[in-house]
Amino acid sequence: MIGAIVDTHDLLEVVWTAAVAGLGTTTAYGLAILGVGRALDYGRSGRTVEALAYGVLGAVAVAAVAAAVVFGIVVMVNK
Amino acid sequence: MHSEIVVVIVVATALAFDFTNGFHDTANVVATSISTRAMSPRLAVGYASVLNFVGAFISLQVAATVAKDVVNPADITLLAVFAGLVGAIAWNLITWYFGLPSSSSHALIGGIVGAVLVADGPDAVFFDGILGKVMIPALIAPTLAFVVGGAAILVLYRTVGGLRPARVTRGFRGGQVISGGLLALAHGTNDAQKTMGVITLALVANGTIASNDFHVPDWVVASSATAISLGTYIGGWRIIKTMGSRIHKMDSAQGFAAQGSGAAVILASSHVGFPLSTTQTISGAVIGSGAAKRLSAVRWGVAGNIVAAWVVTLPAAAAIGALTYVITRAFGTGAVGPIVVSAAILSGGALLFVRRAQQSSVTPAAAEA
Repeated sequence: MIGAIVDTHDLLEVVWTAAVAGLGTTTAYGLAILGVGRALDYGRSGRTVEALAYGVLGAVAVAAVAAAVVFGIVVMVNK
Repeated sequence: MHSEIVVVIVVATALAFDFTNGFHDTANVVATSISTRAMSPRLAVGYASVLNFVGAFISLQVAATVAKDVVNPADITLLAVFAGLVGAIAWNLITWYFGLPSSSSHALIGGIVGAVLVADGPDAVFFDGILGKVMIPALIAPTLAFVVGGAAILVLYRTVGGLRPARVTRGFRGGQVISGGLLALAHGTNDAQKTMGVITLALVANGTIASNDFHVPDWVVASSATAISLGTYIGGWRIIKTMGSRIHKMDSAQGFAAQGSGAAVILASSHVGFPLSTTQTISGAVIGSGAAKRLSAVRWGVAGNIVAAWVVTLPAAAAIGALTYVITRAFGTGAVGPIVVSAAILSGGALLFVRRAQQSSVTPAAAEA
């Protein structure tokens, strides 16, 4: 009955995409803060390797968040 | 001539609804940013207002969804559209008066369904469409936002737990500018289009637009975008206070988690074409981000009132829409009924504003506190 009224495939797609996008984007942003914060701290204390590693983590995470934002806008434009 | 006057009144009423929609739903976008001090109140509503305006121009494909999937467009009359809009406006004003973040979309759907039910009977209402496109997404979206918002804040606390609090706060405040912007765009494109659809439907009912040539005129897009943007800028500070600090006192990480999760649910639903309430989704994410940190941090009484408003919105707006149709129709099919009812709703709205202004003043500064 419910299956005839609601597209369960679409419903499941909403559930998993929202979970992945919501958790993925917020986690990526958290990693960006972690990466930039640690890179600054290690940079100040002269630990270049650690600073570089965290800097790369921060940069990748920022890029992931930027990609998610662009994708979100594309979804809005194309709906 | 009478018909033209009624069309003008219906368009004005639809734009008034759009204004109350922006006014009522400002809180969805800006409440968390204001309460965590990511942005000043005026900057936050200005930012949301501009992005709501831009969002209204992004897409037009869902403009007619409300009417096409909920009631039979062939049975729509100008008086039914008018009565439905009045039902939605009245419910938005009542929930604003009590500071409750209820769904403007559900108020609009409820108002239209109630009016059409009385005007044309149950055969004109698509109950399957209401269940499949409105009721079930209304249950799924806030629950999903609650779970994702809760999970996101747990992950975030674990990720940034070892950093200096000031740096974390600054970082997440910056993130809220981005997540709040996405929410404002999504709100503009979702909610302004519903008004565009209703105005276009009224033009079809009047014969201004042929029913086999359904398109949204440019002036409808521009006026709807302007109305929702102005309403957003004026801002419903009472609801902003409820959303921002009465459910639970948020930190910037929780604000970011709530906005990010809410935006993800809204965009995922938009992607597959489910119309949903931005209000319910963001409220669910706000409650989830508070409950995951500590269950007792959430004021469950306030959360309960919000959920009760969700449940009541559809039938209440339908009842007001139906009653409005009966009253309007009592004056005949001409312009007299809409003029009388418009005057009554304007007077009632003004009375509510004056009463609320006398009882308390929730200002931008108070909303931030």
